[in-house]
Parts: sequence; C-alpha cells; structure tokens
Amino acid sequence: MNTKASLGVAGLLVIVSFVSFVWALQTPRRIVSLVPAVTEMLFALGAGPQVVGVSSYDQDPAEVRQLPRVGALLDPDVERILSLQPDLVVTYGSQTDLKAQLTRASIAVFDYRHAGLADVTSTIRQLGAVTGRADRAETVASDIEQQLARIRARASSGARPRTLLVFGRERRALRNIYASGGRGFLHDMLEAAGGTNVFADIDRESVQATTELILARAPEVILEVRSADVLTAEEAARESASWAPLASVPAVRERRIVVLTGRGLTVPGPRVADVVQRMADALR
Amino acid sequence: MSLRRRLVTVVGSFGILTLAVVLWAPTVGSTPISLARAFDAALPWADNVDAQIFFVARLPRVLAGALIGATLAAAGVVLQALLRNPLATPFTLGVSAGAALGAMLAIAWRLDVGALGVSSVPIASFLGSLAAILIVYWLASSQRRGLSTNVLLLAGVTLNSFFSALILFVQYLADFAESFRTVRWLMGDLDVGSYGPLLAATPFIITAFAVFATLPRALNLLTMGDDVAASRGVDVVRAQQWAFVSASLATGAAVSLGGPVGFIGIVVPHLVRLMVGADHRVVLPAATLFGAAFLVLCDLLARTVMAPVEVPVGIITALIGGPFFLWLLVRQS
Amino acid sequence: MLRADDVSFRYHADTPLVVDGVTLEVARGDLVGILGPNGSGKTTLLRLLSGTRAPTSGTVRLVAEPLHGLSRRDIARRLAVVPQEVELAFEYTALEIVLMGRHPHLGLFQVEGPGDYAIAREALAATGTAHLESREFHTLSGGEKQRVVIAAALAQAPDVLLLDEPTASLDLGYQLDIAALLSTLNRDRGVTMAISTHDLHLAASICRTLVLMRGGRVLAHGPADTVLTPAHVRALYDVEADVHVHPDTGHLTVVPVRRVRA
Repeated sequence: MNTKASLGVAGLLVIVSFVSFVWALQTPRRIVSLVPAVTEMLFALGAGPQVVGVSSYDQDPAEVRQLPRVGALLDPDVERILSLQPDLVVTYGSQTDLKAQLTRASIAVFDYRHAGLADVTSTIRQLGAVTGRADRAETVASDIEQQLARIRARASSGARPRTLLVFGRERRALRNIYASGGRGFLHDMLEAAGGTNVFADIDRESVQATTELILARAPEVILEVRSADVLTAEEAARESASWAPLASVPAVRERRIVVLTGRGLTVPGPRVADVVQRMADALR
Repeated sequence: MSLRRRLVTVVGSFGILTLAVVLWAPTVGSTPISLARAFDAALPWADNVDAQIFFVARLPRVLAGALIGATLAAAGVVLQALLRNPLATPFTLGVSAGAALGAMLAIAWRLDVGALGVSSVPIASFLGSLAAILIVYWLASSQRRGLSTNVLLLAGVTLNSFFSALILFVQYLADFAESFRTVRWLMGDLDVGSYGPLLAATPFIITAFAVFATLPRALNLLTMGDDVAASRGVDVVRAQQWAFVSASLATGAAVSLGGPVGFIGIVVPHLVRLMVGADHRVVLPAATLFGAAFLVLCDLLARTVMAPVEVPVGIITALIGGPFFLWLLVRQS
Repeated sequence: MLRADDVSFRYHADTPLVVDGVTLEVARGDLVGILGPNGSGKTTLLRLLSGTRAPTSGTVRLVAEPLHGLSRRDIARRLAVVPQEVELAFEYTALEIVLMGRHPHLGLFQVEGPGDYAIAREALAATGTAHLESREFHTLSGGEKQRVVIAAALAQAPDVLLLDEPTASLDLGYQLDIAALLSTLNRDRGVTMAISTHDLHLAASICRTLVLMRGGRVLAHGPADTVLTPAHVRALYDVEADVHVHPDTGHLTVVPVRRVRA
C-alpha cells in the first residue's frame, strides 16, 4: 500500500476509535447501582442489561435478584464494586469517600441526591443523558409527569381530606409512631394524591406523632404506608383496629384508615405515579 | 428527731409534692384543652377531644411517668446499697441492656405478638431483662458462698458491654426505617397511649416494692461490710439475693414500659440523701415519691418545651443529670 | 464464756488447714489477745469464734451452748465484732452507726425506741465520743472512727466483744488511745474481749491472757506475763527481743533487737 492510502486508513482508524471512545463514554456498558430507586430507573430506561451489580436492598425488578450485591449507603463494598469492572457507578450524594476512590480509579460516578417528588423525573432525565438514552428517558419522565398531572387535576376538583401519613409504628400498638412532616418525598406524594398533610406546618421530613398530637390535629384519613410488611386481610384489619383508642379522631370515627402494603411504596423511582394513584384511591 | 417523726414528716411532704405534680401534669400540655369539657360526662366520648386528650393521651402518660420514676429511683437506692457504691445505677448490672436487646430484636424483626393489651416490644423487652437477670445471677452465685457483690458487678458490666455490642449489630443489620426506631426507643418514651401496658407492668413492680419494704434495715447494715452485717444478725446472702432480684425485676418492668430512661436511678437517690440523710428507712420511701414527681416533671418538659415536636424524655433527664453530677463533683472537692 | 474445742478450718476441700486443732477459752471478764504474724490464722479464728464461719471440725461454744445451734440473732445479742477498718459508702452520722448495733434486739419492722437511743448514747459516752453524735462518720479522725465503731459493738452486745486488729490502721497516738479505752472497758465495765492482733505492743500492754498462734496452731496459751517470753517471741516472729515490765506503766513492753534467721 502506498503512503497516502496508509495515512488514510490510519486516519480512519483514529477517527473510528475516537468516535467509539466518545460513544463508549456516553453509553456505559457496565453499571453498578447502590441506589435501588436508580436501579429501577435504569431498567425502565432499557439499560437493565448493562447493570452488573446492585445494592443489598435492591429487590425490583425481578432481574436484580440474580445480580451480585455490593453493599449500600453505610457499607459499600469497594473491592466488590471494583471487581465488577464498572464504567459507571451510581452512589449516594453523601458517600464522599467512595466517590473519591472511584474517581481515582477513573470510574465515572453518578451522584444521586434525593429530595422531593419532582426530583424523580429530573433524575430520570439526567440518567438518560449519562447512559445515552435521552429519548427514552424523556418518554418515561413525561409519562410520569402526565400521570401525576392527571391525578392532581382530579384531586383538586374533589375534597382534600386532612391526612395523617404514617410510615412506621409498632405492630398492634400506638407507640413509636412516625409520620411524614411538611417536607420531603412522602409529603409531596400525599399532596399530589389529593391529601392535606396534617403536619404540613412542621418543617421536617419525619415527625414522631404522639397520641396527644394526633388527637389535636384530628386527621380525617389515616394512611399507613408499610412497604416492608406483607399483611393478610385479617392482619390488616387488626392493624387498622389499633387506632381505636383515639375515638375522637374523625378518621377513626368514620373508619377511614387505610393500610397500604407492597414493596416500592417508598421508592422514589419510576413507579411513583402508580403509588400516588394508590394513595389517591385510598383517599377517596 | 426520732425516726418515726422524721419518716412521717418526710413521707408527708414528699407525698404532697408528688400528689400535686401528678394531679397538675395532665392538665398541661402542648395542646390547650378545656378541663370543663374534658370532665363533662354529658358529652359523648367519641366527640370529646378534650376528654380524649386528657384521659387517653396525658393521664396514662403521667401515670407511667410516676410508676417508672418511682421504680427506677427505688431500684437505684437498693442497688447502691447492695453494691456499696453511690455511683451504681439500676442499669449497672445489665438488666436494661437485656431489655434493650429484647426491644431491638422486636423492632428490627417487626415481631407481631401481643397479649393482654401489650404489644410485642414490651414483651420482648421484659423477656430480655429476665434473661439478663438470670445470667448475672448465675454467674454471681457460682462462687461457693452465696452472692458475691464483686462478681455481680463484673458480670453486670461485662453483660452491658456484650449486649451493647449485640444491640449495635442488630441496629446495623436492620432496615433503615426500623434502625431509627430502635435508636428512638433507647431514648425513652412515656407515651403509652392506653392503660394496658401500665396494668401489665404493675404486678411486677408491686411485688418488687413489697420486697423493698423489708430491706431498709438490712441495707443500712450491709453498708459496713458483709462480715459486720452477719455479726449483727443479718442473713447477708438472703438479703443480697432478695435485693438483687427485686431491684432487677422492677427495673426490667420499668424499662419494658418506657424504655431505659437514664439518670433517675442515680440523681434522685443522691438528691434525696442530701435532703434526708443516709438511713435507708427514710431514703427509700422518699426516693420513691421524689422519683415519681421528678420523672413526671421531666416528661412535662419533654412534651412542651419544643411543641409540637417532642424531645425524648431520656434526653431531658440526661441534660439535667449531667450538670447535676458536675455540681456534685465540684461541691465535694 | 467463749470456748473453742479442737477447731480446725479449711476454706475448700482441696486447700490446707488455715486453723489447725485450736483449743482456747475466753473466760468471763478476761481480755484475751490472739497474737501471731500475718497468715497465722488469727482472723479466721476470730470468724470461727464469732460464728461467721462454721469450723470444719471441732465446736465453738458460747456459754456452753454450741454456736451452730444458736440463731444468728441470738449470737448477735451476746457477741459483737469490731472490724479492722470501716469504709462507709454513705454518710451516716455517728449516732446512726451506733444505733445499727441495736438491730439484733429489734423485731422485723420495729423502730428504735427511747431505750435504744439511751443505750446508744451511753455507749458513745463510754468511748468518749458523745460529743460526736451528730457528726458524719467520714468527717471523723481515725481514732474517733474506731471509737464510734467500738461504741456500736457495745450497744449491740455489752458482754463479749471480738476485735479484729483494732489498732492496725491507726496512727501511734490513736493506737494508745484505743488500747487505753479497751483496757478501761474491760476493767471498769467487765466487758469480756478477745483481740486478734499482730501488734506486740497492744498484746503486751493490755492483754491479760495471750494465745500465740503460728501456722494455724496454738504455740502457747496462758497468762500474758508467763507466755510472752523472748523464746516465744523468737518462735513467733524470728526476732530476738527484750521483754520487760515497764517501770512507769507497770505493764509488759517488748523491744525488738534483731532479726534472727530460723
């Protein structure tokens, strides 16, 4: 081959390599996710096959159960992560040590910060950009936003009951009750579903609700979110009956106590609109 | 002043104080209520918010505070005398660590058993405290002569460390939501919300107090040493066994009811001794009454100072107890 | 009054005898000294005499009745023990300490009456500590503390007192005070006493009868002036000593001269 042809081929090779390289940067092949919500988002975006490692707490979708576990917020297993040879790792915003180690190993990091309901769709979009699936991300995010808009519209036309959103308490007892305060993801979901948070004035994400406080705030609906429990109908009935001592609370008097169970209730991922729908149904 | 006169004066004045506190506390809280409405029998129960706040939210809470405060203070007095150490607390011998471990497991594993109006956490907690009592007692009795207070102390301290490690492990393994609730339990919570748990704890506490009533003279005599007490006719081993079991049982019941509320068991006995002297026949009843009033007042503070949010009562007792001890140290030097 | 007949004692089945075949008698009104070096078994012997421990073999009798047949209370009403040192965890007053001695005389829920208070105050007076009645125990000097503890024993059982190393932790001046007090109580009030001690001076100055102990056995037993000889001191302590009657005080003094290898 003569010099010109050789140069041409070399140049073509360089260009192709460069383009491949840039494309490879944009479309990570091996993703490790420490954040269950983001794992769900990745699968929703069609990037499921690229996920090679998940956190200890990941359960959905079903495919992740076969995947290796790399720890979670408090105990990320750096060695395990590195051994999976990822080119993108999704970490929590507070995992500064882990992020530093990954950056030193020249591994791209997606920094997840969790706040309100609106951040779910913005995170989906960011994820789309990073994984080279921007179009798909836009579709998923818009669907969610439209669904939420529909729910909100229907909710604004009806009554907005004063609601106590409980996410933790002792079984069979009114002890150690934790409810959503006026800030954060659960509060946003409740408001979108058409409820008025009785603790909307308290600027905290969680409030330990004492019996006096609940009696004073007199919610019209008590919504219990139990993502980790699986309750039979009998057990659910019994848990609702636990509220009986607070007889003057409208929710107790009118028997508007709903216990929602199922994994994914408190995951700020692609299923949020469905969760909000369930809440909206419960509030009617 | 003779003992009888002193006893009448002390019990009388502390009794009045405690009664006043217990009667006043339910009328005060983060929500303004009308007492007239609360006691109006004509209003249907289900509509009477003021009555519910008074009788469902506040009264059981005040009674729990009085019961737990009295119990922890009295148990503190007994254990300090048993161990001949004014720094001993009802939690020194590992009972509350056992109770805490039981509670942690029930919370973290979301146990679901209930009986007689009591839910799984207090039941598991009480069983944990019984386990701790049995272990410590067995270790301390393995010496050939009765109950050795040195081994008792060592066993208790060791059990505390070991159970604390287990507790941390359980918290670490627990789900994030449950993990926070376990931490919250350790800070103490008097919001019992019903009379069931109180009634369940009462038989154990009453039994323990019945035993306490027979101990004060023996406790005085034990102060000068086992040999001297024996030479004065005290059955030292029996007295130690009764003191240990009753104080530990009472502590287990109290902690199962409201969590491990700290500092009551050491601040109250000290304060009371400063006021009435060292004779246990006066200190024990005085500490019982004063402990009740003290905890009810601390809880009142806990539920009003940052309304509508509450400060865990264990934090209030710690904030008061810590500076108190600094003051004691300064005063002694 | 108090008699030990061939008593022996070992702490556990596999340990050697700490007290080996001891026979002694504490006669009424006597002041007996049980003298010996550390480890000679004196403290254990005192425990056997007070009934705190039961002998492995042999019998201890109080006024001809075996101790093991008497209840703890019965023994406590007639026999009191003065410990070597008292470290109180709580701040009792001197009067409260002495009143504790009345315990074996009170019923289960009975409270001390005026009679008990009178006895307690009288005991304080007998030990020269009446003025300290309202003082907290830990504020007293070493000598005052020991005297209050002796008063407590007197309030408990004025007949027989057993004292374990009563001067061991005291300064010299207080040692002499206590020695004088014990001698006075014995002479003027007829309090029978048995003192276990390694203090030669205490033994020599106030004890009327001496029991010399070494290695758990009785070396010699009898009136102090016949028993306390240089030969016996040498056998007990491996020390050559002079034993004289002091011209001023009239009682024996022992002056160590030199160490002798056994």
